[in-house]
Amino acid sequence: MNAAGRAVKIVMIEDDEGHARLIERNIRRAGVNNEIVPFADGTSALTYLFGEDASGVAVNGRPLLILLDLNLPDMSGVDILTKVKANPHTKMSPVVILTTTDDEREIQRCYDLGANVYITKPVEYENFANAIRQLGLFLSVMQVAEAP
Amino acid sequence: MPISSQSFIRATILLLVAGCVSVLAIVVAAIWIAGRNDTQADDLVDSLLARREAFQVLNLILDAETGQRGYLLTHDEAYLQPYTEAVAKVDSTIAKLREIERTQPRYAAAIETLAARISEKLAELARTVEVAKAGRFDEAIAVVRTGRGKALMDDVRSASDVLIGATDTLVRTNTAALRESARLLVWVLAAGGFVILGVVGATSWTAWRYTRDLEMARGELIAFNATLEARVRDRTADVARANEEIQRFAYIVSHDLRSPLVNIMGFTSELQAGLTSVRSLLDRAPASDDDRVAGEARAAVDAEMPEAIQFIRSSTSKMDRLINAILKLSREGQRKLAPVHVRMSPIFEAARDSVQHQLAEAGAELTIVDPIPDLVTDRLSVEQIFGNIIDNAVKYLDHGRAGRIVVRGREMPLGIEFEVEDNGRGIAPHDLDRIFDLFRRAGAQDRSGEGIGLSHVRALVRGLGGTISVRSELNVGTTFSVRLPRILVPTSEGEVS
Repeated sequence: MNAAGRAVKIVMIEDDEGHARLIERNIRRAGVNNEIVPFADGTSALTYLFGEDASGVAVNGRPLLILLDLNLPDMSGVDILTKVKANPHTKMSPVVILTTTDDEREIQRCYDLGANVYITKPVEYENFANAIRQLGLFLSVMQVAEAP
Repeated sequence: MPISSQSFIRATILLLVAGCVSVLAIVVAAIWIAGRNDTQADDLVDSLLARREAFQVLNLILDAETGQRGYLLTHDEAYLQPYTEAVAKVDSTIAKLREIERTQPRYAAAIETLAARISEKLAELARTVEVAKAGRFDEAIAVVRTGRGKALMDDVRSASDVLIGATDTLVRTNTAALRESARLLVWVLAAGGFVILGVVGATSWTAWRYTRDLEMARGELIAFNATLEARVRDRTADVARANEEIQRFAYIVSHDLRSPLVNIMGFTSELQAGLTSVRSLLDRAPASDDDRVAGEARAAVDAEMPEAIQFIRSSTSKMDRLINAILKLSREGQRKLAPVHVRMSPIFEAARDSVQHQLAEAGAELTIVDPIPDLVTDRLSVEQIFGNIIDNAVKYLDHGRAGRIVVRGREMPLGIEFEVEDNGRGIAPHDLDRIFDLFRRAGAQDRSGEGIGLSHVRALVRGLGGTISVRSELNVGTTFSVRLPRILVPTSEGEVS
């Protein structure tokens, strides 16, 4: 596998354009230059993640980091999380939940379903920016682990 | 037609009166009849006596005449014996008649006539006997021959017949009257008996109908109660559903409101970051004093834009706080209540401990009036309810006087009522309705707060199936009354998270 093939792709599933833009800016600002694949709805994201046949076979072994918003226009992010963690081909991909909810029960549910990180989108922007930058750190650790 | 209790009582009283009246009538009639019978019987007895005496006296006179005639015929004194015996008895017989006459004046005329005739007859007899005794028998017989003696005797007989006739008439009428009275009594008794039977029958019938109506009404009431419970259950379920919808709505709204806020804040920060670079650029190339455009740009970058950004930030922060408050309330409503036995005194003591510092600072005291009844309810909810109310009481004390807060609880017919009374600044009457509304505050705005506490408290109290009310007088004090059910029954519906 070449370096480009091994590089982790960031799949960002976020319906709010502004949020998507802010997330991207902060990721870049953190010095992360990985490719970001944005999706504004759940259906197209699922197609990308599991292929046309929804089996996940076609995309087996692809290194992905999934940034997932819970409030999507066509489905709940929780549904996507469940599918990702239930499919043997995708369950290794780390999932970062990004949402406006800081409801403890919802956070717990996401962790129970296998979410790796849960980030609330606080209105205090600095916190948010910090959290995203830490994500960059997380990503670099991941890339080290992926290295042969 | 159902009998009302009033008409039942009226009918019963009426029937009772009718019964009493008929019994009274029977008694009065019987007494009257008995009294009448009495006099009639007395009259009857007297008349019979008078009749007997009249016969008696007639016989005596006949005896006397017989003796006189025998003596005149035989000149033998022995024949005079009936005469002397009869004459001796006549007076007493007449006396008996006169005695009767006293009670029966109706016979007075007849008796007196008879007595007069008798004395005339006796006088005639006595004269002839005297003449004969003197030995002048012929003269005596001559007197007899005049026929006067016979005439007198006839008079006596007819006078006696008059008396006897009168007594006969009375005996006949009185006997008939007595028989009539007896018949009348029977009728009166029979009629009275009928009336009483009727009264008893009517009373029984009324009572039976009334009882039946009562029984029917009771049945209806039981049936109504049963449906009422079902109806109340339905309504409660409706209300619970509506409540749940509102909570879900609040939850969604606050989530969706937050998304744009994140953008506003985020991009404002981006603007600010951009502004910093612009300012650095301007710093690097200081503008000459007469460059008007550069001067304006400088003012915008240094003062106007940071100010605008500051306003955007503070407004967004405020909005975020409000949204958080709604979110908190809606989460509170969705929290599953866990009823446990809660000892209330420690709850109030804990609330007092948490405001101990403020109390000491204000020189105020908080009294918990023991005993305070315990509850089976959701502990967290009651902690928050009374924590908030006591917090408010301390927060809004009047510093012009020594603060005094009193907490008490007492058993009520439908649960326990807790009161938190303070002598603080009070609430104006027109504000009383607003204080429970979200984001509304009353009185001088010299204390921090979002106007969430009481609306939260009310939501909690309602969640526990209770009610909260307040009475207050401006500058005198405020009393919050929270009435909670003794035992919280959790709703069967699952909570939505």
